[in-house]
Amino acid sequence: MRQRRIWEKIVPLALSIPASIVVLTFLVVVVVVGLRGIGVLSWEMVATSIYHGGIAEAVIGTLYLLVGAAIMAAVVGIATAVYLVEYAPGGRLSRIVTQALNNLAGVPTIIFGLFGAIFFCRILGLGVSLLSGWLILTCMMLPIVVRGSQEALRMVPKSFRDAAQALGASKWRTIRDVVLPTAAPGLATSVILGVSRVAGETAAILFVCSPVLAPLPKSPLEPTVALATYIWLVLMTQPDPERALALASAACLVLLVVVVLLNTIAYAIRVYYRRRWGRIGV
Amino acid sequence: MKRSRTYKELKYLIRRLAKDRVVAALSAVSSLPIFVLLLIIIFITWQGLTAFRMLGLEMFGFRWDAEYGYFGATPLIFGSITVVAGALLIAIPIGVLSAIFLAEYAPHWLRDVVKPMVELLAAIPSIIYGVFALVFVAPIIKEVFSLPSGLVALTSSMVLSIMTLPTIVSISSETISAVPKEYRRASIALGATHWQTVKGVVIPTAAPGIVASIILGFGRAIGETVAVALAIGARAKVSWSLLEPMHALTAAIIYVFPEAAYGEMSWYVCFGLGVILFAITFAVNTVAGFILRKVPKGVVQL
Repeated sequence: MRQRRIWEKIVPLALSIPASIVVLTFLVVVVVVGLRGIGVLSWEMVATSIYHGGIAEAVIGTLYLLVGAAIMAAVVGIATAVYLVEYAPGGRLSRIVTQALNNLAGVPTIIFGLFGAIFFCRILGLGVSLLSGWLILTCMMLPIVVRGSQEALRMVPKSFRDAAQALGASKWRTIRDVVLPTAAPGLATSVILGVSRVAGETAAILFVCSPVLAPLPKSPLEPTVALATYIWLVLMTQPDPERALALASAACLVLLVVVVLLNTIAYAIRVYYRRRWGRIGV
Repeated sequence: MKRSRTYKELKYLIRRLAKDRVVAALSAVSSLPIFVLLLIIIFITWQGLTAFRMLGLEMFGFRWDAEYGYFGATPLIFGSITVVAGALLIAIPIGVLSAIFLAEYAPHWLRDVVKPMVELLAAIPSIIYGVFALVFVAPIIKEVFSLPSGLVALTSSMVLSIMTLPTIVSISSETISAVPKEYRRASIALGATHWQTVKGVVIPTAAPGIVASIILGFGRAIGETVAVALAIGARAKVSWSLLEPMHALTAAIIYVFPEAAYGEMSWYVCFGLGVILFAITFAVNTVAGFILRKVPKGVVQL
């Protein structure tokens, strides 16, 4: 009996060790990347061209890529979620689509890169360009955006829809004027999380839109450089390894800040609306 | 029976299509994921099979030296699996034990602190882990084992283990938390202590979820590219020591593909490697999906 009681005390203590290792790992990664980056990074560097030891094009290029991909993924992803949740729940098509999305979520990013290089760049003739980058990022974000949007739509209370339809609104009017606005925070969260997932995408972007340190694109049909590919390219091409690591660390910090910021925004929206609405938007 | 249902559904769909433009547009858009997946499979295999056809069994040879035209994928497959196995050896005990701690013992406030950290750990891009490996892990490994270079298989295993931790921790802890209360109460009513309940009832019930989380972690780790490519040392050889540089499927693709022009051998070989990689991850994810279905219902969504 006493032995049992001792176990009851020991086990939680013993199990807290691996848990603290996880926390510690997180802190070490953040601190190492942060300290390394802060040592090099300055406002001046963010504003200086990549040809003069800065990262300006990389920052703006990332912005171009993410905004375009976010718009595309939002349109396609939310439309898909609306169809799956509102029009064909439980149908055959929706089951196949869900299965396809699950499989897409498990495809390694480098496979997306190869696919983009052959299909978007060559077969569709878009070339190595910002547009190809948008398309491939959209494909990669889709599973997250659809899944998140589905959750958000399902959280809209049935009474809202009933009320709208009782007033004589058609199904589409109900969705447009009642369901979508109510689910908006959840939909926004899912798109933001999707963007955060691809913000640091390297392999795919390297293959389809950013093979070299390029100047800023003048049209979507020109290549661009992004933070992640800038880091990779600098590590591969900069002859002085110390300098390469310094530049890479600076870009890493900016990228880390972007990702953490996106996740924090998503988290904040979620918490704020959960408090207001109950569980809308998850 | 099945066929007639499909037919009916199709007929219904077509009728709706004619009537309702919104539905037509939405259903067209929502079938995009199916097409994307199919196109990926078709184009990767189409290009990849060209390599298999041109090289034949050489594709599974033991020498990988892309610059000199040796395209044997065996050392790459070996390297990928070895590095991921090493990563899992580190990540499984830490991940599963902390999942048990988080789900069973941690107070609420602690859970609310640790969970977001684990989520962020998953959100940090691969390239940042790569740079982390270069500036932090590699120098330590180099010092500890007094090696000429820190870029060895063990370094990428360590980084990969950090990257697989979130998968293992979050899916495992979710399944553990989802074990029905009745199970625990029954066990405690029989006089079992908390730990006995966890050991004898909760973990066996959640076992499929824990196993699936590990398999999913494997699938994610083997497809991981940039971090591995930066840390692994990129020397293709079959060796049993984690303290030597190796090479991996994904790393080989990212090093070779940017230089390959369409129609060159190396272009097709990259797709060939892609086919191998795709086959592995597809199999792994399917197995994980099957196992997850054995978890008490409504627990985890892949």
